[in-house]
Amino acid sequence: MHEPLLAIQGLRKSFGDNEVLKGIDLQVQTGEVIAIIGKSGSGKSTLLRCINGLETFQTGTLTVDDQALLHHDAKAMRALRQKVGMIFQSFNLFPHLRVGENIMLAPNLVKQRDKAISKIEAQNLLTRVGLAEKFDAWPDQLSGGQQQRVAIARALAMSPQILLCDEITSALDPELVGEVLRVVEHLADEGMTLLMVTHEMNFARKVADRVIFMHQGRVHESGKPEDLFGNPQTAELVQFLSALR
Amino acid sequence: MVDFSLWDIFRNLLLALRWTVALSLIAFIGGGLMGLLLLIARLSHSKLLRLAVNAYVQVFQGTPLLMQLFLAYFGMALIGIETSPWLAAGVALTLYSSAFLTEIWRGCVEAIPKGQWEASQSLALSFIEQLRYVILPQAFKISIPPTVGFLVQVIKGTALASVIGFVELTKAGTMITNATFKPFLVYSCVAILYFALCFPVSYFAKQLERKVQRGHA
Repeated sequence: MHEPLLAIQGLRKSFGDNEVLKGIDLQVQTGEVIAIIGKSGSGKSTLLRCINGLETFQTGTLTVDDQALLHHDAKAMRALRQKVGMIFQSFNLFPHLRVGENIMLAPNLVKQRDKAISKIEAQNLLTRVGLAEKFDAWPDQLSGGQQQRVAIARALAMSPQILLCDEITSALDPELVGEVLRVVEHLADEGMTLLMVTHEMNFARKVADRVIFMHQGRVHESGKPEDLFGNPQTAELVQFLSALR
Repeated sequence: MVDFSLWDIFRNLLLALRWTVALSLIAFIGGGLMGLLLLIARLSHSKLLRLAVNAYVQVFQGTPLLMQLFLAYFGMALIGIETSPWLAAGVALTLYSSAFLTEIWRGCVEAIPKGQWEASQSLALSFIEQLRYVILPQAFKISIPPTVGFLVQVIKGTALASVIGFVELTKAGTMITNATFKPFLVYSCVAILYFALCFPVSYFAKQLERKVQRGHA
């Protein structure tokens, strides 16, 4: 067994008196694709947001590729965030920048990439997500699916070792979901380590190596997708899955 | 008695207008720079800084500019700084403007969706980089109308500096009135000059607003 790329131990997180993560232990190997499922309020998005420090947690440890998450150490956070990319439900493209500029901003600033090189890289990334001709477009000229694919390209531009996807198709019209999922599936095939909170059960079943079912702030059940979906062990998961049908 | 022609009146007012313009510029530039620093402090993650800026803003928003001018003028003398109407008016207007601009700009920054902070944070941008490249450019667009509205207030607010003996447009108007006994004529000229100063500012702001809107079709 290799050193895990992501290691979470005893992570607890509260919003005021409300404890939303009640001791999470999770290890993710390089190249693993993990789908996190669960009811809203089960803590799955919060867990994802803890991994790149968008949320702070009270106890526990979290390391990515040996870089510990230290909330009050700006340098450590900058190093960690370069290893962790994130894609959001609401895309969050920068509306005042063109598509190409959206992608090049962080590499230029954080990695001090040569401008000419980062431009070529941005163009390659856009080609990879099927938007080669959109380099000079403004975000609001794109459909939701296209915007989300730009957001994926933007995250990839930092060459992260792990990509967090927070319900990335939930804000999309149904006919646009497929194009985004295809891009993600491609990434999975190429060996990208993925952690995705998703409501797309068919997609999770097809792409994930491991599925994690969260319930009331805990990892309630986890395992291979065929086991989890085919033979759920706990009443809560049975209930969750039957509610989806 | 000496007779004053309309040109005499106008010429003397124009000379005094320089000082209104100069004082306004000091307030804009000084207040703008200081306002920006205070804004950064206000947005920072330090609770102490946030509270301090808040208190500062409350003090300057909650007291009349007239009192601030008096306090600057007499207060600086009290702590041993050799003061002049110039210095006192410049300092008071800078502090006053910075407090209001900070608050106006904070509102504009808060109007930017939280997702913009989160996305730029996720891309490993530092706090200052997030502000500089993501948040402030967007906030700038929506800040133009309220900022210019306030700047026009400041131009007119410089009139209050006359109370500490600063001879700007309003004070000059009063002095000329005392010499000519033609208050309506003189103050009409004063009003026209204020308008001539404020109108282009508003007009320029409208143009700028349109330009930045077009900037992203």
